[in-house]
Amino acid sequence: MNSSPVLSVRNLSVDVGTGAGARPVLSDVSFDLAPREIVGIIGASGSGKTVLARALVNWIDPPLRIASGSVEYKSQNILDLAGGRMRLLRREIAYVGANPMGALDPTLPVGRQIVEKLSAVVPGIDPSEARKRVIDLLGAVRIPSPRLRFDEYPSQFSGGMMQRALIVDALVSNPAFLVADNVTQPLDVTVAAQVLRLMRELTERFDTAVVFVSSSLPTVKEAADQVLVLSEGRIVERNTPQRLIDAPQHPYTLQLISQIPKIWTSEAAAVPRTPNAARPTISIRDATRTYRVRKRGTFAAHSEVRAVRNVTFDVMPGENFGVVGESGCGKSTLMRLLSRLEFPDSGSVICNGEDLSKLRGKTLLKFRRDFQLVLQDPFNSLPPRTSIGAILEDPLRVHGMRNAKEIRERVLTVMAEVELPANLYDELPLGLSAGQRQRVNVARAMVLEPKVLIMDETLSSLDQTEQFRLLALFEKLQVQHGLTYVFISHDLAMVRRVCNRVAVMYLGEVVEIAHNERLFFDPGHPYTKALLSAVPTLEERRYKPEDCLLEGEPPSPIDLPPGCSFASRCPHAFDRCRAESPTLTARNHGELAACFLVEGPGARAAA
Amino acid sequence: MFVISFLVRRLAQGALIIFLVTLLIFTLLRIVPGDPVRLMAGGMAPEALIEQIAEEMGLRDPVLVQFGRYMSGVVRGDLGQSFVRPASGASTGGSSFGDATRGERADVLTLIGETLPMTLQLAFLAIVFAMVFSFLVGIPAGLSPGRWPDRVAFYVSSIFISLPGFWLGIVLALLLSVKLGWLPAIGYKGFAYTILPAIVLAVELSPVLIRTLTGSISSAMTMPFIAVGRVRGLSQRRIIFAHALRNASVPLLNLLGIQISGLLGGVLVIEFIFDYPGLGLLTINAVLQRDFPLIQGIAIVTSAIFVLINIAVDLIATLIDPRLEY
Repeated sequence: MNSSPVLSVRNLSVDVGTGAGARPVLSDVSFDLAPREIVGIIGASGSGKTVLARALVNWIDPPLRIASGSVEYKSQNILDLAGGRMRLLRREIAYVGANPMGALDPTLPVGRQIVEKLSAVVPGIDPSEARKRVIDLLGAVRIPSPRLRFDEYPSQFSGGMMQRALIVDALVSNPAFLVADNVTQPLDVTVAAQVLRLMRELTERFDTAVVFVSSSLPTVKEAADQVLVLSEGRIVERNTPQRLIDAPQHPYTLQLISQIPKIWTSEAAAVPRTPNAARPTISIRDATRTYRVRKRGTFAAHSEVRAVRNVTFDVMPGENFGVVGESGCGKSTLMRLLSRLEFPDSGSVICNGEDLSKLRGKTLLKFRRDFQLVLQDPFNSLPPRTSIGAILEDPLRVHGMRNAKEIRERVLTVMAEVELPANLYDELPLGLSAGQRQRVNVARAMVLEPKVLIMDETLSSLDQTEQFRLLALFEKLQVQHGLTYVFISHDLAMVRRVCNRVAVMYLGEVVEIAHNERLFFDPGHPYTKALLSAVPTLEERRYKPEDCLLEGEPPSPIDLPPGCSFASRCPHAFDRCRAESPTLTARNHGELAACFLVEGPGARAAA
Repeated sequence: MFVISFLVRRLAQGALIIFLVTLLIFTLLRIVPGDPVRLMAGGMAPEALIEQIAEEMGLRDPVLVQFGRYMSGVVRGDLGQSFVRPASGASTGGSSFGDATRGERADVLTLIGETLPMTLQLAFLAIVFAMVFSFLVGIPAGLSPGRWPDRVAFYVSSIFISLPGFWLGIVLALLLSVKLGWLPAIGYKGFAYTILPAIVLAVELSPVLIRTLTGSISSAMTMPFIAVGRVRGLSQRRIIFAHALRNASVPLLNLLGIQISGLLGGVLVIEFIFDYPGLGLLTINAVLQRDFPLIQGIAIVTSAIFVLINIAVDLIATLIDPRLEY
């Protein structure tokens, strides 16, 4: 790589605000991007990496301001270019962001918008040629039936599909370099791994240099030739990924590496087996939930979305039970069934020996009290114009507490328990960080002294540091109050740290239930292996992506194929899988997997 | 296929709505005090004769029977005859009795058929004026929230919404027709007579349109795909006209559906002031004369128009934004 760089950034500084109140976001950043090189930029949230990514494509809007420095492309500083001249360069400078669903106009077909971009940056291109080129590229990023997909709307694309379409959008004009800002962050692990692989492939094919910005070091490691570590707006370290991980120099890099969860190494937390108990706290029996949606463009036809299918498992008292799976696998519907927001169409949910659908009046209120939810989104789950004290008082009043002094005392006790300072009592949630907001959510659940907490992706919006703190808090609360947790999550690393037993869901079915160690060291289902092969980690993988990683995306829960629902993506599928559906088969120690290849006591030998 | 199933579904719903509206109006009209036969026959007519006429017209039958009879006419396209208006034209209803011209009464359908086009012409012109004006004021305002075009839009719409329509109508008639002689004002002898009342109606319509347009454009401009569009290399003009306006048009369209329906009420006052021979003027007279069949006919026709407008609005909205599904 001796040729002159495509892009050189020199002493770039960006401030937020102007005059006396200005605060630096980026300070003195310099680096070069050689042709065909992939430079990774890594940093925690708030390190300024998104601002850097935007500065590279001249997208700095007030209150951000370029304080000094230059971004040179073809020996001109693109930061000085006025709108019109910059627009001509957009053909050569491409950008893909972290929010694929918001990046295109929802009211126009995806393909048309990519053609629109192409003809905006390549004026005078023949429309039919532009169309052909877009369809070719959509095929190249492995979007199935690209000709049909061309005319579909953004809302008809899944997140992973959309991110691929946006990569097409970026590469369609053959850019000299591409800035990819956290492209894999909103995607499920298996899809993120596919997208990453695809980006590498395409940049080689098109000779594009890439600046790859991410908050996940394992991801950057897979992608980049060169890594820059960004901390508080400064580049604190630069090296090749392997050397950076083997011998980190800067304390910030060390800290980043230490926070990456351990899965298979001895440092990984040992999680005890589930304590034995006579009766399960929650027992879900053969539950099925199907939604009817009207088919567009028909008079009265309905499609059935089979969100949860024949799910059976028990959660023991004092246990941490994990439910994992990718988006659309039915995790959230399952949560709604467990918390009696909805009833299963068939089957039942039994809690402490009572069928939830039969609860009425007082017993229902008692169930609600024992059974609390903590939701995913820390920003939308708190009423913005209610003080924190009032938010926490509310459940107590609903459950019949009347004495104002007692209520206040109880709320303050709980706030202390979740480590929220008492002076927040009269504050609005506005100024709180995501972590503090989640603490308020936990406090709102804890204030009623529940027995079971359902955590629906409670930690997924938090960064590693804050996740660690909250997990420690959960552990403390569990010891103090003998709580049972159900963690619904897509984050296998988190599940590995805390859950005694884990159920893996795929397309509405539980495909495997196993104890923590067994699941991570000896999974019984190929889908579990695929998930494990895609976990972002720096460790030597037990399951190689080459052997296990899936192509494509799950089939739609509307038109389920006959046979095993995983067969279409399974590397080991054989004829029987396409004809009949495997049921959960016992392996041993109460571990179950739904695969014909499972061998266990009493299981039939594999065909 | 989608459009056809949409239309069939919505038209069926619409028919049900119109039926219920008719039932409601029909019943209410028969509950309110005031005997229409007394009005028709004249104050001096003997009681026995009034009873006789009422019997002959079926006005003493149970309400449901009368309704059934009426509906069977409606489905055949017969909205009945006016109680009061003779077919010859002149609107009477005085106290005299035994007038020969009363024999032949005017068909409700004909009366509506003569006046409805006039009102539609007025309403259409008013909407064109209001839209053009709102776009000229509202788009720049939506593109620069907080700056002077936004303030101009705010002041203009505040002033417009505070002007009472009947007052503005009188002032404009004085100014533009009496003093300046630019536009004719009273009655109707040609297209020019529509312009002045249309301006007055447009002034009433535009404030809400301007506010909605400003708001929806400025919020459309904050959508992520607008900012990303610039980075993708789209021109500012394309971003505004092909994307921001497209996304902002759905709320505007929904509002317009309601506004047009409201407009049919708004024309009552304006047509009265300008003596414009439209549906509004006909309605006022029908109500004053307790002309039940005419009131019913107008109610059915207006509710049918509401229903059709709303179907059209929803259809266009779904075609603009396929995520919507009505």
